[in-house]
Amino acid sequence: MHDKNFMRETLLQGAQAFQAGKMQRRSFLALCGMAGFASASVLAGKAEAAASEIVMWNWGGQSEECHQSAIGAAFTQDTGVPLKFDTSGPLQGKIKEMVDSGNVTADVCDADLFDAVALGKTGHLEALDYSVIDKTKTIDGYALEFGISIILYGYAFMYDTQAYPDGPPTSWADFFDTAKFPGTRSLYKWANGSLEAALMADGVEKDKLYPLDIDRALKKITAIKADTIYWGSGSEAQSMIVNGEVSMGMVWQNRGRSIETETNGRYKLVMNQALAMPGAYIVPKGNPGGADVMKFIATAQSVPAQLDLFACLGMTPTNPEAIAQMAEVDQPYSITSAANMPMIALNDPTWWGENTDAAVNAFLAAIS
Amino acid sequence: MRLPLKSGWLLVLPFLLLVGGLFLGPILNVLWISVTEPAPGFGNYAQLGSSDTLRRILWTTLRVCVMCTAFSVILGYSIAYAMVHATGPAQSRMLGLLLISFWISVLVRTFSWLMLLGRNGVVNSTLDALGIISAPIPFMRNELGVLIGMVHYMVPYAVLPIFAAMQSIDGRVVQASRSLGGSGAQTFWRIYLPMTKPGVVAASLVVFIINLGFYVIPAVLGGGKVLMVAEYISVQVLITLQWGTAAMLAAILLFGVLALMFLMSRFMKLSTVFGGART
Amino acid sequence: MTKGNGSLCLTSLSKRYGAFTAVDNVNLQIEKGEFLTLLGPSGSGKTTLLMMIAGFQDISEGDILLGGVSIAQTPAEKRNFGMVFQGYALFPHMSVHDNIAYPLSVRRRPKAEIDARVAEMLDLVRLNGFAKRLPKELSGGQQQRVALARALCFAPPVLLLDEPLGALDKKLRVEVQAQLKEIHRRVGTTFVYVTHDQEEALSMSDRIVIMQNGRIEQVGTPADLYQNPKTAFAASFLGKSNFLHRDDAVFALRPEKIDLSPEGQGMGANKVSGVVLSVTYFGAVLKYQVEVPGMDPIEVDVDAWRSGQALPQGARVDLTWADSAAVRLLDQSL
Repeated sequence: MHDKNFMRETLLQGAQAFQAGKMQRRSFLALCGMAGFASASVLAGKAEAAASEIVMWNWGGQSEECHQSAIGAAFTQDTGVPLKFDTSGPLQGKIKEMVDSGNVTADVCDADLFDAVALGKTGHLEALDYSVIDKTKTIDGYALEFGISIILYGYAFMYDTQAYPDGPPTSWADFFDTAKFPGTRSLYKWANGSLEAALMADGVEKDKLYPLDIDRALKKITAIKADTIYWGSGSEAQSMIVNGEVSMGMVWQNRGRSIETETNGRYKLVMNQALAMPGAYIVPKGNPGGADVMKFIATAQSVPAQLDLFACLGMTPTNPEAIAQMAEVDQPYSITSAANMPMIALNDPTWWGENTDAAVNAFLAAIS
Repeated sequence: MRLPLKSGWLLVLPFLLLVGGLFLGPILNVLWISVTEPAPGFGNYAQLGSSDTLRRILWTTLRVCVMCTAFSVILGYSIAYAMVHATGPAQSRMLGLLLISFWISVLVRTFSWLMLLGRNGVVNSTLDALGIISAPIPFMRNELGVLIGMVHYMVPYAVLPIFAAMQSIDGRVVQASRSLGGSGAQTFWRIYLPMTKPGVVAASLVVFIINLGFYVIPAVLGGGKVLMVAEYISVQVLITLQWGTAAMLAAILLFGVLALMFLMSRFMKLSTVFGGART
Repeated sequence: MTKGNGSLCLTSLSKRYGAFTAVDNVNLQIEKGEFLTLLGPSGSGKTTLLMMIAGFQDISEGDILLGGVSIAQTPAEKRNFGMVFQGYALFPHMSVHDNIAYPLSVRRRPKAEIDARVAEMLDLVRLNGFAKRLPKELSGGQQQRVALARALCFAPPVLLLDEPLGALDKKLRVEVQAQLKEIHRRVGTTFVYVTHDQEEALSMSDRIVIMQNGRIEQVGTPADLYQNPKTAFAASFLGKSNFLHRDDAVFALRPEKIDLSPEGQGMGANKVSGVVLSVTYFGAVLKYQVEVPGMDPIEVDVDAWRSGQALPQGARVDLTWADSAAVRLLDQSL
């Protein structure tokens, strides 16, 4: 879900995702419940992935074009294998369903690194071949057995410069202090990022966040519940800010730049204590394209591909060489740039891979 | 050898199998998952007793659905009444507008409501500019917002069955009541409303059942704080992978709807509600 | 309840829809206790007139007075007129008892009074034992009687009936006509009865109003109208008539008032000769069509048992009638 929403760069994409939600509602209407998903994905699985192509499962829209131009073109030139897309969104539940059904049609999923931990453990993923993929071309600790981080996004907050003329908020502690900084807040509603922000606000060191103390975080979060609204998609987070619904809002960091532009600088991004999130490539067990997918992932690690993806989608590269080559003006918006690195916290995919269900359900119970 | 089935049944057999496979199969699958994942037994159902969160979500769903049904049916009744008493061309226009609203996507509706009734929406800005309010009225991102959005979506569904019921009323029956001394109010409460009851019941059932599955409107207009069962099921399926819990909740919805239909059938013939013969 | 004294008076009553005039300057005095029938073909304005009396149609011009007091602005439910509708308009969700009790119940009468009155009405329309049934469980004739009982239950000074027998078959209709007449005699309420059926009008009414094109064509007792129609329309709509043209005037001549005899045997003040075109046996009467030179074919009814053997087609016959048999009409021509 995190990745799903993160990838939605435009309202149009947001619309598609909501449409997906609407279809799901209808399937409940027909009392098919979850079975609706099953049959939908069986039907969607018609586009068969032959060995002569690599199918990337992502969220479509802009990210389809960007992946094709940044990675697909070079990959096809090297190997002669074309890159195709399935744009129905690789949520954990859908990957699990696809692998369990035995009808695997995707080779690589544009997912989160904690998905690699969760689904790898249950045997739904192929182990990566690190003789082809380079462990050093990513952030330390983000090359795992069943997935590797290719790009980074993150959680940060933005504030209304007109609401706080006497001194802007600079940390999560300020964000959670509604006495000193009155006004409505927004947080991500599937726990991720929100828990870390609450703990940092409560005084936990940014490199000592994990394992997360869920109860402590929720206490902080429920304390400002009356002043908080919660978003489920990037476009929603953006519109809450642009429409002036909140004076401080959590966003996906890579959207910060466009929101600053859109609001003519009225809302400003705070990178201090931002949480970097590793977006990852993972391979469903029994993928039709076989070993070729490892070459594809290696191609995505190359410096030109990484820089192209940043230019196209705004996601920070993970390859240190690519980060070093970024333009000066882009550095502040690159979450792991040299200037930002000392300020930010790094997400622990292992903790999330093992605790997503408990964390999300506890969070939902607290905010609803 | 004679076939044991009449040939007519053979003709519809493929279709029956298709319906059985595509409709009953998945339902049985859901029921099966609800008693097998993560462990065999009724552990998922036991959560209903132990989990405050689940009970709260179900209660929120029930509360919102009942309120939405009540408002939708009352509004729908008024609209249907106006339509049934409008002249031919005006009636066609009203019906047309009503049907067009079916085509407006949920997303457009939710964003429109935010534009209209949001914190800085048209209504709040206008009231503020006129000096009527000093702080924005919180219409959206709460339960009220969810209700407004859902009622708006459901009103057309409520109008149509009620409209059909009203159309079938013989105007002379209403005149008869007046000629016998019944006032307007007496005629409405004692004659008109009881005669449109099948339409009202049908509308309530349809609206309530559709409401149970609402997902996008509560998620967006509720500001994340109005968690209804459909959204919760989706989270359990897609994010937390607790399919057993999800299947259990889906089964609860299914049983709830069936129980509702059963209760209704004890009070009136459902075939009447859904347009069947009244005999 | 309105005091039941006094007649119903319609003065210069008109109803217009744009350029179309549905009811045109109607003046009519309806006496208390009278059985008055509005008779006319469809579109003659009789139902519109009834609906104006009931209060369901606005009045374009004129006035309606009950006992000398205008009720033109009184809403339908305050007029206290009972009404029996075409198709009965019973309340389908209420039992026979509740249907009949409705007018008293909306007037908030005590339950004991209501129950007693409903029993009385069930007795009147001979439906004792049917109180708990729903309308759909009754036959058409029974439903009709429930509608009547309901409309009479609150003892209205005037009962309006809109083609109440239209949905019944012929045999049942004759039976119910007799019952209606009997009930009218017993309750003494003014009945204003709309029908397009001339036999119904003739057999039940104290007076008949013949309507055409929104106007009153003629008003009178059944016998008066039958014997002395003033217009060709009245003469042909109520019974059958032959029309004769004499001295720039038109006369109506009823078929049964003509004597028919073999040629040369006819004796009477007026006599023409002709040829039998057709003869039809109707049990009680023989209906002849006779071709007379220079005239429309003339119909003649003859008592079948008195005339003996029918004359065959092609027979030459004399037709004779008394001076008083031919009624001079107001029409100058047809």
